[in-house]
Amino acid sequence: MVSEALNFVLQLLIFPGFLFIICLAFFSEWVLRKFVARIQNRMGPTYTGYGGVLQPFADFIKLLGKEDIIPAFAEKSFFTLTPLLCLALPLTAIFVLPIADHQALISFEGDLIFLAFTFTMLTIMVFLGGFLSGSIFSMVGGVRAATQLLGYEIPFLLVLFGPAIPASSLSISKISMWQAQNNAWGLWTQPIGFGVLVICLLAELELLPFDIPEAETEIVAGWNVEFTGRRLALVRLGRDVELVLASAILVDLYLGGPQQVWIIPPIVIFLVKMFACLLLIGYLKTLFARFRIDQVLSGMWKYVIPAAMIQFIILKLIW
Amino acid sequence: MSGSTIKIIIGPQHPALKEPERFILETEGEYVVDVKVRIGYIHRGIEKAMENRTYLQGLYLSERVCGICSDAHTTCYVQGVEELLGIEPPPRSRFIRVIVAELERIHSHLLWLGIAAHEIGFDTLFMYVWRDREVVMDLLELVSGNRVNYAINTIGGVRRDLNNGRIQKMLKGLKILEDRTKEYLKMIGREQTVLKRTVNIGNLSKSDAIKYGAVGPTARASGVKRDVRVDDPYAAYDEISFNVIVEDGCDCLARIMVRGREVLESIHIIREALKKMPDGEIRVRVKPRIPPAEALSRVEAPRGELLYYIKSNGTDKPERCKIRTPTLANIPSLCKMLVGGYIADVPIVLAGIDPCFACMDRVLIIDKEKRKAEVWTLDMLRRYGREWYQKR
Amino acid sequence: MSREEEILEKIKERFGDNVKNITIQRPRRIFAETDMKYLKEILRCARDELGFDHISTITGEDMGEEIELIYHIAYENAIELSIKTRVPKEDPKIATIIDLYPPAGIYEREVHDLLGVMFEGNPDLSPLLLPDNWPKGVYPLRKDVSLEEIKAIIEKGGEEE
Repeated sequence: MVSEALNFVLQLLIFPGFLFIICLAFFSEWVLRKFVARIQNRMGPTYTGYGGVLQPFADFIKLLGKEDIIPAFAEKSFFTLTPLLCLALPLTAIFVLPIADHQALISFEGDLIFLAFTFTMLTIMVFLGGFLSGSIFSMVGGVRAATQLLGYEIPFLLVLFGPAIPASSLSISKISMWQAQNNAWGLWTQPIGFGVLVICLLAELELLPFDIPEAETEIVAGWNVEFTGRRLALVRLGRDVELVLASAILVDLYLGGPQQVWIIPPIVIFLVKMFACLLLIGYLKTLFARFRIDQVLSGMWKYVIPAAMIQFIILKLIW
Repeated sequence: MSGSTIKIIIGPQHPALKEPERFILETEGEYVVDVKVRIGYIHRGIEKAMENRTYLQGLYLSERVCGICSDAHTTCYVQGVEELLGIEPPPRSRFIRVIVAELERIHSHLLWLGIAAHEIGFDTLFMYVWRDREVVMDLLELVSGNRVNYAINTIGGVRRDLNNGRIQKMLKGLKILEDRTKEYLKMIGREQTVLKRTVNIGNLSKSDAIKYGAVGPTARASGVKRDVRVDDPYAAYDEISFNVIVEDGCDCLARIMVRGREVLESIHIIREALKKMPDGEIRVRVKPRIPPAEALSRVEAPRGELLYYIKSNGTDKPERCKIRTPTLANIPSLCKMLVGGYIADVPIVLAGIDPCFACMDRVLIIDKEKRKAEVWTLDMLRRYGREWYQKR
Repeated sequence: MSREEEILEKIKERFGDNVKNITIQRPRRIFAETDMKYLKEILRCARDELGFDHISTITGEDMGEEIELIYHIAYENAIELSIKTRVPKEDPKIATIIDLYPPAGIYEREVHDLLGVMFEGNPDLSPLLLPDNWPKGVYPLRKDVSLEEIKAIIEKGGEEE
């Protein structure tokens, strides 16, 4: 009993818990930066560690040591809460996703709903944090984040619940297990859903062509313009964790999750799939110019939502 | 947002502006309803300084009006002074001036294309274009010895000659530039996200372009066929045949296309010039004292018509030297373009005229940052935010 | 007869002695002088009848007792007509021309900043180039303002409020 509890705590804290996820987050940021840089004919990070692999971590440490400024006009409570939740929400969400094993650390019937809830919460925190930090740029950024949510949330939820129908379960672990056992990856059985999910995740992660809430040349850094020092460090780490979370969702819901192939442990398979998704996201990021907020909304409602609905209808007809 | 307007201040420090300038945008939701421009943050008093310096010192000062179109400024200045003196520079020097001017135009337009891509968030294109910009900077170094502030012109001619080896290297570099530019133009014409952000954005009709006095590529993108190189030929432009690039789109895409196609046309001009360049002297010696006279000199800078009015009084210093840069001439058109557009489109529209603020603010003295209005605006916004929050 | 000569003849015919010293300095450059009373009329005629649709700039210059203003206007971007007129330095006032050439507004602001010429009818003569706290009545491009004086103002950081 005691050893079981100890084991669980260790799993929670070290592997595949906090420590592993945070290291993975830093590493994914480096992979993304390096990959995008090479595509764009640049070097990317080079100095810290082998090939600059420690650069995201160095950035984090540097930001921790910087001055922490609370703007006089900001709402203090929300200004403090936003960076914390920006990190805490995606970290919590990752625990319901199976990573090292086909069973997630915390798994219960309906954790898919919990995942959807954390995503929406995250955007609302971004909106409030931006709106109440007392700068026009962050205010516009916050409003844009909320407006963008109106566009992508419906298709996002539709395709998030799509894989649950064939597996007839609302537990992510069961869905990915079902896909792995039946060899029916979501990518093959519902390809439209996969495409829609990638688009929605790009919007959720505020990556090009949907980086409207933090469009550098328009509104400086958007909603996070006022965050400095520790707060900015947390916000940025939160973004990295979100990146891992997004790739992990793609893997678990559409690519069969961590499965044992021959003698290769599931974690390796999971990481391979995850980085494939990460590179896909990074590749898409370099391909486009930024849309305008009204173009995103009309595009989402005109094309992405119908596509998600068609996928849903097809699923209902088959199963 | 209850019908009230929000003031968004772009600049003096803003990522979309490469130089300090302030635009106060009155916005309603995501729409811009009014624009106010405040320039003068990098005033250096060059016109006054010119009156207190000799003609030769003035040459180096005019080089430093602007970093990107420095050759256009010196060409315009030396032409004015040569007109005052009543001398003609040797033919070979006039061809070298054309070559450097066109290389500078290629450089400026490529630089601009990168910035325009960055403004609409297309960083990949930005990186690629700026990589190729290195090629043209190397060519400029080959000709003049400098990557920026070329210092090739002098009163009565040019300072450095071209030899055969350099010409061969130059032709090789031009080939690379031509291929790459064609590739980018093809890509821009097909890429949907770029088209979405530039077609029908920042419209300036032909009649408005004339009415508000637009110059250079901005005017030519609105179908106004005006180019000082053809209309009022200087240097050796009357001996080289080339087309004036005009687009009828009147929007940001047309401005991108005009500049892109001008790069190709400039490459053609340089090749022609290299072919037709006569042998001979590259400069004539001149006296430092200049008889009383006045001269109006015009040059097609990369951004449009550049104008110098120089008046001499018989000493070695000018009585008055007036500079009118293309960016200043395009500001009234810019305000027209911005009103009615989206906030998100402001950067690309702003970039559309290829603003060069250092050029524009040349006349006098460094400005101090205007704290007062900014604090007031933030204060107003804070109150607005609080009220909005309480109402919920 | 070249285009320049045609324009010159037309102006002579139309305004007679009111336009003085009209010369073709070199191809595509015409200089002329006039009294400030007739300036607007000449500009209107140049714009409407002769087709000078582009204003290049307005140059201001301190001549000692008077301030000379030169209006550079262009015909089809090729022929530059420079019309000079003078206003007294004691009371430098002249009517605005933004109703004829809208972009002239920004050039008038520049001349107002640097030489203190009042353009009557221009709705916005706020500082364009100079700082907001620049002392009133100091016009840096006038010949009686020395470099030392300007330097002193900059070092002081403008006028105290």
